[in-house]
Amino acid sequence: MLRLQFPRLLQRQPLSNYITLHSMTTSAVNLRAVWKRFGKTEAVRGIDLDVPDGSLTGFIGPNGAGKSTTIRMIMSIIHPDEGSVQVLGADAISAKDRIGYLPEERGLYRRMRVTEFLKFMATLKGLPGAGLDARVNAWLERVQLTDASKKRCQELSKGQQQKIQFIASVIHDPELIILDEPFSGLDPVNARLINRLIRDLHDAGRTIIFSTHVMHQAEQLCDRIVLINHGEKILDASMTEIHARFDPRTVQVEPSSHNPADASRLGALPGVERAQWNPERHAAELTIARDVDPQDVMRAAIALMPVRTVELRKTTLDDVFVELVGEAMPSSEESGNG
Amino acid sequence: MADRMHASPMRRVWTIAFREFRHTVITKGFIFGAVVMPVVMFAAIAALGLLIGMQMTPVVGTLVVIDESGTVAAFAAEELTPEQVAKDMHESLRRNSALKNWPGSDAAQQATASLPSIDVKVESVQDANRVDELRAKVQDGSLLGLAIVSPELLNANPMDAEGNELTFTLIVPTRSAPRLTGMLEKSIAKAIVKARVQRVGTDYTSLKALLALPETSVRRMSTEGAEADENAIAKTLLPMGFMMLLWIATFASGQYLLTTTIEEKASKVMEVLLSAVSPMELLCGKIIGYAMVSAVMLGMYGALGIAGLSAAAMGDLVSPGMLILMLVYFVMAYAFVSIMMASVGSAVNDLREAQSLVTPAMLILTLPIMLWLPISEQPNGWIATISSFIPPAIPFVMVLRVTASNEQIDTWQVILSLVWGFAWVGVFVWGGAKIFRVGVLMQGKPPSPRELIKWLRMA
Repeated sequence: MLRLQFPRLLQRQPLSNYITLHSMTTSAVNLRAVWKRFGKTEAVRGIDLDVPDGSLTGFIGPNGAGKSTTIRMIMSIIHPDEGSVQVLGADAISAKDRIGYLPEERGLYRRMRVTEFLKFMATLKGLPGAGLDARVNAWLERVQLTDASKKRCQELSKGQQQKIQFIASVIHDPELIILDEPFSGLDPVNARLINRLIRDLHDAGRTIIFSTHVMHQAEQLCDRIVLINHGEKILDASMTEIHARFDPRTVQVEPSSHNPADASRLGALPGVERAQWNPERHAAELTIARDVDPQDVMRAAIALMPVRTVELRKTTLDDVFVELVGEAMPSSEESGNG
Repeated sequence: MADRMHASPMRRVWTIAFREFRHTVITKGFIFGAVVMPVVMFAAIAALGLLIGMQMTPVVGTLVVIDESGTVAAFAAEELTPEQVAKDMHESLRRNSALKNWPGSDAAQQATASLPSIDVKVESVQDANRVDELRAKVQDGSLLGLAIVSPELLNANPMDAEGNELTFTLIVPTRSAPRLTGMLEKSIAKAIVKARVQRVGTDYTSLKALLALPETSVRRMSTEGAEADENAIAKTLLPMGFMMLLWIATFASGQYLLTTTIEEKASKVMEVLLSAVSPMELLCGKIIGYAMVSAVMLGMYGALGIAGLSAAAMGDLVSPGMLILMLVYFVMAYAFVSIMMASVGSAVNDLREAQSLVTPAMLILTLPIMLWLPISEQPNGWIATISSFIPPAIPFVMVLRVTASNEQIDTWQVILSLVWGFAWVGVFVWGGAKIFRVGVLMQGKPPSPRELIKWLRMA
């Protein structure tokens, strides 16, 4: 089967519409009722989205949710079937020089030398030739790849290639940076380095969109989350709003006995909907009914049996996903080294 | 923010074009394949004659002719003098149909200069019983050869009882070079003929002059009354040379375009590029880049060809008008081939898949090669005229026609072929660009012809 990605001319709106829309908001990215279909598959289904200027927004969702398709439309690599896309207050195509993009599927010219490749990409993005060498060298130093400058791309390890791609996406100092799964395949050391660079860019005022299917990476980095599932946006809020909106609903009780049978005893407590034994933590995880105060359940657990620890677990994006979708995130167990 | 200048579409196109050019031309593969190899081949051909000359050993020794009449040996001795051997070879080369009208046919003179030194003594033996003794001498290398000529062979009608032509026997050592054997064989045969002529009392030289076929001087008369020399070489080989030059220059670049596009898709660079440029900018950049590669090849091989023609005093066969038309048709041919290769490259995942999509167009493009002879011989014939208007073969057929004819092709046909051809280039660019836009982001199985038509409608 073909994975169809049919570009179609962007359904252009009159310029006056763009100006009006942009003047009403400080969004770096503005999507209105965007649809994208590949054959009979609806990859993106009527998404409305505003990514605030200067935010670090995480696009999260399971594989195949429509994250990459949405990003490709923002990059004007493909065009929506319906709806409008506005980037940095302009047509997405004319804003290309002001956007940095790290695609999900990495690609380098294998036989090109590292410095040459970076200069080529920077030139395509509109940087003048003067000062390009210094800029490239500074970035290579920043990612600890000065030794690789004269090497051909094919001589680099996978992690080194990813770092070169990261530089290629930010070397022109873009206002908006879109990173599609930036940590996939990176070892923990390099993941930490890229993590720090993303934070630095964010601190310098860049707007960053960061896509991942690994929830905890988004939790660590992002100040705003857009959750996409089956091509639909099911959550769009800041992390503060998310924590306020989604009460913690899980109490973790570690009995002194470490006996799994205690899980069923704890499950029988009033207000507990479900109890599950976590063998790794030697603890029972109790799901609390929505109208019950977790503090009451914690007190009842202590009264029921000798316990080593009782903890009200912080709401994770996994919990939020379960709450919103009613099922666990299909790929959330995958490690992402974020 | 960085000191960013606005990257205009043309700047992006040229950046891509220059990268493609640089990474194709300044590579070991290109320099070796397109520059070093042809130079080595030309040098090898030039050196071949020299090597053969160096390889030749002097022809020194004795040839024995067993002939009861005793007349053949003397004639054979006349034929085996160095002067006569050189004269025969010169005559043979000069009369060769392909070289007959070669301007500056001193080539024949030069060829005979490479003959080995010859000092052959011819002995006549009339006693046929000495055959075994002389055979032994050939075997041990004391003799260059032994010719056995039967008396009947000198008859006016040398036939046996069954009416078959009689033969003479030439015995040579195993190590005897084929060229030497041929020389001895020819000299003895001529000596036998001279002996026959002498036997009937006729002068051989007069008879030879009487029987010599006169040479022809063909003059072509055009309908306008202009008269020009016939030139077999120019009429047959030159058009093919020009067309092959066009073919090599365009298809070598087209092949590069096809493989690099496939590589960019396979290595996922395509999406990185498309984040910086539009598909049309990418397509234009690639086509311009490889046009420069193609121009380098055309210039290199073309200059070499013209230099070769000038060296052979044939420079006047290529007129400036012909060269200008060649360049215009080169642009057309490159446009056809490049857009075809780029769009196919964008739609497939590997070269094997590309093959099946390119094959139909390639069948049309081989038309000029298949029809080379009929078009060269009759550049204004109906086959040539009709095939001049079949895209994408138009530029290749027209180059065959304009370089083949001793008379001018009708101007209206040249103009019409240009207008028609470039109109079709427009159609190819339109369709190719649409396929490229869709194809570059496509993964999975290659499109069927029906899907390609769908792409043309939707993009």
